[in-house]
Amino acid sequence: MKLARSALLLAGLAGALLLAPPARAQAQALDRAGLVQELCGDAGAMGRAGATLAATAAAGSDEDRAWAAPLARAAIDRKLGCDETGAVLEEGGLDAVTRTPRAATGTPRAPLLSLRNRPVFELGDAAFALRGAPDPARRAAALKTLERRPALIPERLLDRAAEAETDAGLKEQIDTLAQTAALNAADPAARIRAIGRVAENPSRRALTRISALARDPAYEANPEFRAAVDAATARIERGIAIGDALATLYNGLSFASILFMAAIGLAIIFGLMGVINLAQGELIMIGAYVTWLVQQGLRAVAPGLLDWYLILAIPVAFLVTAAIGIALEASLLRHLYKRPLMSLLATWAVSLFLMNLVRVVFGTQNLQFETPFYVTGGVPVIGDFIFTWNRMFAIAFAALTLALTWALVRRTPFGLNIRAVTQNRDMAACIGIPTRRVDMMAFGLGSGLAGLAGLALSPIYSVNPQMGQNFIIDAFMVVVLGGVGTIAGTVVAALGIGQINVLIEPLWGAVAAKVIVLLMIIAFLQWRPEGLFAVKGRRK
Amino acid sequence: MSLTALLVDGVTVRFGSFRALDDLSLAIDYGEVRAIIGPNGAGKTTLLDVISGITRPKQGRVLFDGATDLTEISEAAIARAGLRRKFQKPSVFKGLSVRRHIAIGADVGFRARLDAPALEDRIDEVLEIVGLADQAGRLAGELSHGQKQWLEIGMVLASDPKVLMLDEPVAGLTDEETERTAALVRALRRPDRAIVVVEHDMDFVERIADRVTVLHEGRTLFEGSMAHVRADAAVVDVYLGR
Amino acid sequence: MSRIGPTSPIVLLIGLIILVAMAMAGLAGTEFALSRYLANAIGQLAAFAVLAISLDLIWGYLGILSLGHGLFFALGGYLMAMYLLKHSFEITATVPDFLQFMGWKDFPFYWAGFEFFPYALAVAVVVTLLVSGIFGYVSFRSRVGGVYFAIITQALVYVAMLLMFRNDTGFGGNNGMTGFTVLFGWPMGTSGMITALAVASLLVLAWVLLGCRWLVGSRFGALMLATRDDETRLRTMGYETLRLKLIVWCLSALIAMLAGMLYVPQVGIINPRVLSPELSLEIAVWVAIGGRGHLVGAVIGALLVNAVKFWLSSAAPEIWPFILSGLIVLVVLVFPNGLMDIAKFKFVRPMGAKRLAADLGESRP
Repeated sequence: MKLARSALLLAGLAGALLLAPPARAQAQALDRAGLVQELCGDAGAMGRAGATLAATAAAGSDEDRAWAAPLARAAIDRKLGCDETGAVLEEGGLDAVTRTPRAATGTPRAPLLSLRNRPVFELGDAAFALRGAPDPARRAAALKTLERRPALIPERLLDRAAEAETDAGLKEQIDTLAQTAALNAADPAARIRAIGRVAENPSRRALTRISALARDPAYEANPEFRAAVDAATARIERGIAIGDALATLYNGLSFASILFMAAIGLAIIFGLMGVINLAQGELIMIGAYVTWLVQQGLRAVAPGLLDWYLILAIPVAFLVTAAIGIALEASLLRHLYKRPLMSLLATWAVSLFLMNLVRVVFGTQNLQFETPFYVTGGVPVIGDFIFTWNRMFAIAFAALTLALTWALVRRTPFGLNIRAVTQNRDMAACIGIPTRRVDMMAFGLGSGLAGLAGLALSPIYSVNPQMGQNFIIDAFMVVVLGGVGTIAGTVVAALGIGQINVLIEPLWGAVAAKVIVLLMIIAFLQWRPEGLFAVKGRRK
Repeated sequence: MSLTALLVDGVTVRFGSFRALDDLSLAIDYGEVRAIIGPNGAGKTTLLDVISGITRPKQGRVLFDGATDLTEISEAAIARAGLRRKFQKPSVFKGLSVRRHIAIGADVGFRARLDAPALEDRIDEVLEIVGLADQAGRLAGELSHGQKQWLEIGMVLASDPKVLMLDEPVAGLTDEETERTAALVRALRRPDRAIVVVEHDMDFVERIADRVTVLHEGRTLFEGSMAHVRADAAVVDVYLGR
Repeated sequence: MSRIGPTSPIVLLIGLIILVAMAMAGLAGTEFALSRYLANAIGQLAAFAVLAISLDLIWGYLGILSLGHGLFFALGGYLMAMYLLKHSFEITATVPDFLQFMGWKDFPFYWAGFEFFPYALAVAVVVTLLVSGIFGYVSFRSRVGGVYFAIITQALVYVAMLLMFRNDTGFGGNNGMTGFTVLFGWPMGTSGMITALAVASLLVLAWVLLGCRWLVGSRFGALMLATRDDETRLRTMGYETLRLKLIVWCLSALIAMLAGMLYVPQVGIINPRVLSPELSLEIAVWVAIGGRGHLVGAVIGALLVNAVKFWLSSAAPEIWPFILSGLIVLVVLVFPNGLMDIAKFKFVRPMGAKRLAADLGESRP
């Protein structure tokens, strides 16, 4: 009942607006005295005056708008004193037309807005505020008022407001409202144009809007309108599908990047020494903590550089974790090379130690990271797919790490030594390669890469003492799948596991994704027990 | 019983792009001691790996007794069929006693099938042959290199194999031990047994082998008696040297 | 294997276990009876010792390290908990809390029959054999071993944990199952029941110890050691090592399951945390500390580590991880055969890694 009544009221208001002739003529000059006269007239005259005010707010010249803006407010607050010569604005005691100081003659009458006219004046007042108020909060409040009656908003008001708007968030809201207003416009042609514009940027929100129009009376009545709605729906749905596919791919790629970063160090160490470093997850965690410390340090010493902490932390995170790795190798793992299963336990002890040490020193809560501008926001591409910069950062970082690691292993004497020792330790030792030193440096490299992984994921995932555990088992699976000590295998396996995880997750959930990935790996090992890129040779 | 124990038929094994065996064919008869020689990388050990089922060839087959294709059954099944092998690197079980080794070699199965006294006799006999009777209670991990070689031969012997493969049985042994090994190999020669020996020691090969196959780059370079081998120009070129 | 003399450690240990069990049973109800806390602790320790034996059987004697043995422990624990809940439900007629949380009025269909202990036991055995059998078969068939096997088992237990953390599986979700009131018709939580469970655990421990000692001393045990030392060699002697490994693996899983069934009624709860990779790694640590390849060592390792843990978890829980990691490093570097080294006064310098490798029979990666 209530709804029907307000709909009736709205329809009536729309009619009043359309009927008001001055709305069209506003572009030339505003008849200021006539307007004031109407404001002091009967309900019908006041209604016309309200419409004129709204139209002025949308299309009037700057002077006219500045002149007319106080009138709507004054009419609402009953601060307009009508007398024989016209009217006086009680605020400041100015003549309503000339804006010169004068006192009211006789007993001024403050006209009362009818129930029907009140929303028209409120709308007008909000329209002036949206375009003219210096305070963004005031403009936001005005926008809220307008949003309640999209059908009444004068044409082009919102376009102009959006043009002048300096606040990005508010601007977006204005644009959205403009679309809604256009979709609900009275002119069918305008509506169809608006439908086309909405369909240009497909998203789930756009789909909700357009599909709501299928319940509009015009959908049944107007075949042109119906065709436009149907075409737009199809176009938006296609856009959403493409966007979703791209988003899945993109998320998979970013997850794969993190996996790759976590696994590459593991794979190098495993290939070289047959040791699986169960503390790799904690080295990742320490990389993230070092990044946080660099941020805190910059905040204290050089706040101007704070935004660049992610970049400045790169060498620090690498060196700190590499140093931990080298210390670990020299003190512990060196004695365990012939006993890989014992080295598993030893590295687990290290993992336990590091995790609890960090817990004691820093506490268990998630660390707070600043979000530098270069990892903030993103570019909306299509549908609901937003090309977010934080994920792009991880992907680019992983790609760079891959390139550098590849160059290091393939193109430097150190890399040659690593490959030689990986393939045949005894023979490498015989031709004078210092295998112990190579082990130590390679362990440092693998650990440093884990530190970089920690840095790369700090803008995306929460950072706490347990975070290493979340990645380590996936990283193991990458190594198992990729095969021992091959960079190419690690890349392919990380991409595969990353994408499969992201593909399955929305269908059956994260747990099912992990179960399926594990089963697939076990099945895969039936076919290729040595992993994807195993080097074949005679069994020893 | 067919005269041919093993027929290697067009076997090719590849490791990456390297052909360890290249369309190799050869036949080994019952009653003979066949030596396989050749430079390093010629494919000698790979050939034994294929026969014992450790490496599966890309092409070709290996017929045992003219009927069983060894490339299609498991290592364990090959061993149970009567083909046994001593490895190049002494492979003994560090945690087991010498006596246990012979027992495991003599009878296959998770539970002993020979009745106990017969098994014990067989073990004593083999220990006597390989000269480890006084070491029977020791752990294999504690033995010297030469003793490990003998223990391995003992394990292989204990099963009374039809085809006996010895991969470098005298590598790292003293002259005296080599002497004893040669005598043992000759003593093991039987009409219903084929013995295949891979060895680099030419004097040893000369003393034991009935025929010699020279492998080179995965193919047969020459086949004949040791005297002929020494005379063959190609063999001298690639292997023996002038 | 050598004959067992009357003073050999294993005989002494089994004797001691039976003695403690008999003393506890005999003194129950008298003024000399152990406190409920102590009796309960002994029972739990016995269950952990059984678990340690199960891992030692495959790691110490077969050379296969599983970092996922908590899976079988949890299997036994969960199925025992299902029996206990169903049994308690018969008597109290209250649906357990976790089902009420889910808004379920009744037990899901797969809980049917669990009120009969023999059925619960049979399901536990069958499921354990199925899981261990299938996983073992595919792994051993493709010759996955060493470090690979260790981390795949770890992934397995991790995935199982994630699965059980879900609340919609009908197994209690992240809160697990608790609220057991009745066992074989007797009320739980009484001194008598606590003592009875502890005594039962001790007797099972003695029995498992005896059975495993018989196994590793037999010809089959010799073949296990041979598989550990050089599997390829054994295979080329005609032994199907796949079958041998599978048999021992499944047996080990069954023993771990048994430990879980003993454990749950004594702690009164089971939740997915027993499936955490940490617990499974800890089992390996007990065995390593005790000395793997020695049944006595595994038992003593489990008892010692857990006794310290029990004591510390009330006194100073935050330092336990540091002590544990220190212990591991000490064992790994200085006493590679764990307490067995200390027992023999066989101190080895860490630099002698090569000799150690020879001692341990673990030279191939």
